[in-house]
Amino acid sequence: MESESMSVLEVQNLKIYYESVWGSYKAIDGASFKAYRNEVFSIAGESGCGKSTLVDGILRLVKPPGYIPEGRVIFEGTDLLGIPEDELRRIRWVKIAYVPQGAMSSLNPVIRVEEQMTDAMIDHGSMNKEEARELAISMLKEVGLPVEVARMYPHELSGGMKQRVIIATAIALKPILIITDEPTTALDVIVQKGILELLGSLKEKYGMTVIVVSHDMAAHAQIADRIAIMYAGKVVEIGSIHDIFEEPLHPYTKGLISAIPAMGKKSIKGIPGLAPSPLDWPQGCRFHPRCPYARDICSEVEPSMKEVSPGRHLACHP
Amino acid sequence: MSELLGTLKRRVSGFISLFKRSLALRVGVALLLLLIFLAIFQPIIDQYRLEGHEATDLGYFEKFLPPSLKHPLGTDQFGRDVLGLHLTGLKFSLIVGALAGSVATLISVCTAIIAGYRGGKIDSILNGVTNSILVIPSLPILMVVAFYTRLDLVSMCLTLAAFSWPWSTRVIRAQVLSLKERTYVDLAKVSGENHFEIMFAEILPNLIPYIIVGLGFSVIGAIFAETGLRIIGLGPTTVVSLGLLIQQALQYGLLTQKRYAEIMSLVLLLMSIFISINLINKGMDEAFNPRLKKVTGE
Amino acid sequence: MSQPLVEIKNLTKVFKIGGGLGLVSRRTIKALDSVSLTIPSDRAAITALVGESGSGKTTMARIILGLLEPTFGEVLYKGRRISDWLKKNRMEYLREVQPIFQDPYSVYNPFYRVERVLEMVIKKFRLASSKAEMREIISKTMKDMGLRPEDLLGRYPHQLSGGERQRFMLTRILLMRPRLIVADEPLSMIDVSLRSIFLDHLTSFKDKLGISCLYITHDLNVASYVSDSILVLCHGRVVEAGPKDAVIEDPLHPYTKLLISSIAIPDPKRRWKEKTDLTSIESFEKLKAGEGCVFSARCPYASEVCKEKVPPLQQIRSERKIACFL
Repeated sequence: MESESMSVLEVQNLKIYYESVWGSYKAIDGASFKAYRNEVFSIAGESGCGKSTLVDGILRLVKPPGYIPEGRVIFEGTDLLGIPEDELRRIRWVKIAYVPQGAMSSLNPVIRVEEQMTDAMIDHGSMNKEEARELAISMLKEVGLPVEVARMYPHELSGGMKQRVIIATAIALKPILIITDEPTTALDVIVQKGILELLGSLKEKYGMTVIVVSHDMAAHAQIADRIAIMYAGKVVEIGSIHDIFEEPLHPYTKGLISAIPAMGKKSIKGIPGLAPSPLDWPQGCRFHPRCPYARDICSEVEPSMKEVSPGRHLACHP
Repeated sequence: MSELLGTLKRRVSGFISLFKRSLALRVGVALLLLLIFLAIFQPIIDQYRLEGHEATDLGYFEKFLPPSLKHPLGTDQFGRDVLGLHLTGLKFSLIVGALAGSVATLISVCTAIIAGYRGGKIDSILNGVTNSILVIPSLPILMVVAFYTRLDLVSMCLTLAAFSWPWSTRVIRAQVLSLKERTYVDLAKVSGENHFEIMFAEILPNLIPYIIVGLGFSVIGAIFAETGLRIIGLGPTTVVSLGLLIQQALQYGLLTQKRYAEIMSLVLLLMSIFISINLINKGMDEAFNPRLKKVTGE
Repeated sequence: MSQPLVEIKNLTKVFKIGGGLGLVSRRTIKALDSVSLTIPSDRAAITALVGESGSGKTTMARIILGLLEPTFGEVLYKGRRISDWLKKNRMEYLREVQPIFQDPYSVYNPFYRVERVLEMVIKKFRLASSKAEMREIISKTMKDMGLRPEDLLGRYPHQLSGGERQRFMLTRILLMRPRLIVADEPLSMIDVSLRSIFLDHLTSFKDKLGISCLYITHDLNVASYVSDSILVLCHGRVVEAGPKDAVIEDPLHPYTKLLISSIAIPDPKRRWKEKTDLTSIESFEKLKAGEGCVFSARCPYASEVCKEKVPPLQQIRSERKIACFL
């Protein structure tokens, strides 16, 4: 699954810290991964692991008191963290599209759908109103929405429809990379399937790289090619979706997989203890207090990410 | 209910932490405490300074003395020490504000909670009453009442309260409407709490910030209204409030007499009351919504 | 068969929204339409009520808990109407029927410490005769749940995590030992790794303490794991009911079939086979009240009669019921 071609997005040792009254809050502390063309790359983790913060960092949306002390985000050969603001603007939407969490509620309720779509297109693409309108209509068809939706207002649409409008706008300019954060929360099961399939189809139809950030492991299982597991601000394991589910290597991944209720599964096991707080990451490996295999070295030395087999990365003491 | 009191006692330490969050709150409270301190100790201060006489006693000192160490603001046309007079004025103004403001807030909170929580007919009736009073032009009616009846301190405060309570009611009611949908209200219902307990043990504590702000506005509103009445010459002369003193200043033409120190003192005292309460209101907002100040980076 | 614990007959709940001064037209929403269900009393069971948003499942929960009143129909608990219970024997009813709500944060009043939710029920239901006894009971119950009193008591809700708060709610249930728990999406706001602890507790409540549960959810994965029988709700009507294994492995109603085939199974080897037609998953056709089967707009087998008449819920085989004209 991992091609030898150059990666579309490469994150190297990204760190995102926040300064607060209570101390330095190390939300992301050295995350690295690569995403390639034509694949669905998933970032999975539970609440508090920092996945949304990671996306903020990649897109340079981190605001003070947050800052990026270290790291590189290489997109098509350029470090996004180093380029000037207007160059970044030209890349956003045209080459990298972003569908944030809860985007459906960010649609302006008093402006028609069509206008909101075309506004974004005219802003970032170089086309006039007529062309934008035509593009909007064809995009709506792409996502399976009836043409009438264009003239409607957001509040007349259901959650699933709004999400599809957002996705339609995001892919309109045929970006190379699209990042979606929790694309299916608050949506019904049947609609969820539709949206996930839509996202998965983007890679075949347009050769896009689709990064899906979500806590829903089942969603990842259905559409991802490769997946990165995050815990406590770090990436702990990366691999192909099949490898991760069949042979999870990191103890946290193992715990996560066995904790998911599924039809036909006879028993599920949770992970004891609680996720640590970013102000007080445990010493050494951050998972060691909850790890059933923890040894002395785990509480002293933080394991670094190593490629244990082609395409398989793991941060754990052997 | 005893757990409510216990929680309140423990909350005092929680409140102290609020102070750390807002400069406005610290300054406002400090200023207000200073004013209250002066008002409370006014009788003692005057006893000490004025050789046992009331500040309002006529003719004790020489008239028209300019400011000096013994009389930092001089004496007026009746031979009264002006500083003592102004301190008395401060005391009475604060009393009027506190009394009228508290009564108004009490009525307002009860009305808002009952109307918002019970809904239906009760809400409609109470809303009707609230809106009617809002519509009534209060100052003319106050003037008529003051003109035709012998008002004393308490009855004046009650009258002021009667016209000012509806203003906070709307805001508090809106908050009650939102709070009653909270899941903890459902939990209280299935735990067997009755309506009264839910209104005052579940909802009321979460209204405290709004109540305090409402109290702030009521107090200021009452002092404003009282001062307004005074300027027209109405109101009990036994209640020597700053408003009354201002009216006397106008009546006796202090400006033309170039008794600037006296005028400035009155204005400053009145303004201090307003500023301190407004700062507290702003500070409460800052303390309870720290997002207004800084992002803590969640 | 002895008298069922809960028996619901033709329950209908209609909401009116809008209106007021007559300037905005009033709309009526039929949240529940002639719903019937039974929860047996002879053995403790976990009954899953499965439905998507808008299916009326939360409305159902609120009616059973006494927080909402039905418009038509009867809701009986131990043979007596709930409205009757609440009027004459409110505390007795509440003692036996208790909820677990979806949002583990807003269920706590932020002004008070967390133990207040326990103290409230101890006081109201007279579970202790003195303050000391109350503290003892709280401490013991927490330990029975595997929680450490010294860690959690005295804290405020925002100081606990979502998982801890939900487990604290379970402690409240354990304290009360009701006959029936009405759980409304209790896991949707908790992390995956903590869900098994919660579900294990629910199951042990059933097995060891005989506490039945009406488990309301949209997640068929969880429903299939924890329940004994499943009811499928669609737009306010029950379309299928039966034992869990039967419904999951052999769904009869087209809606149930669609639901099961749409679930995301957390196993990359079992991916969806058929692609959903994006144009068919949602439509603007508003269902007119009372006309036809609720699923007719989306049903691949829909025929004329489906659009006109409402199919009744019928018993097909032993213990299985569906509402369909096929």
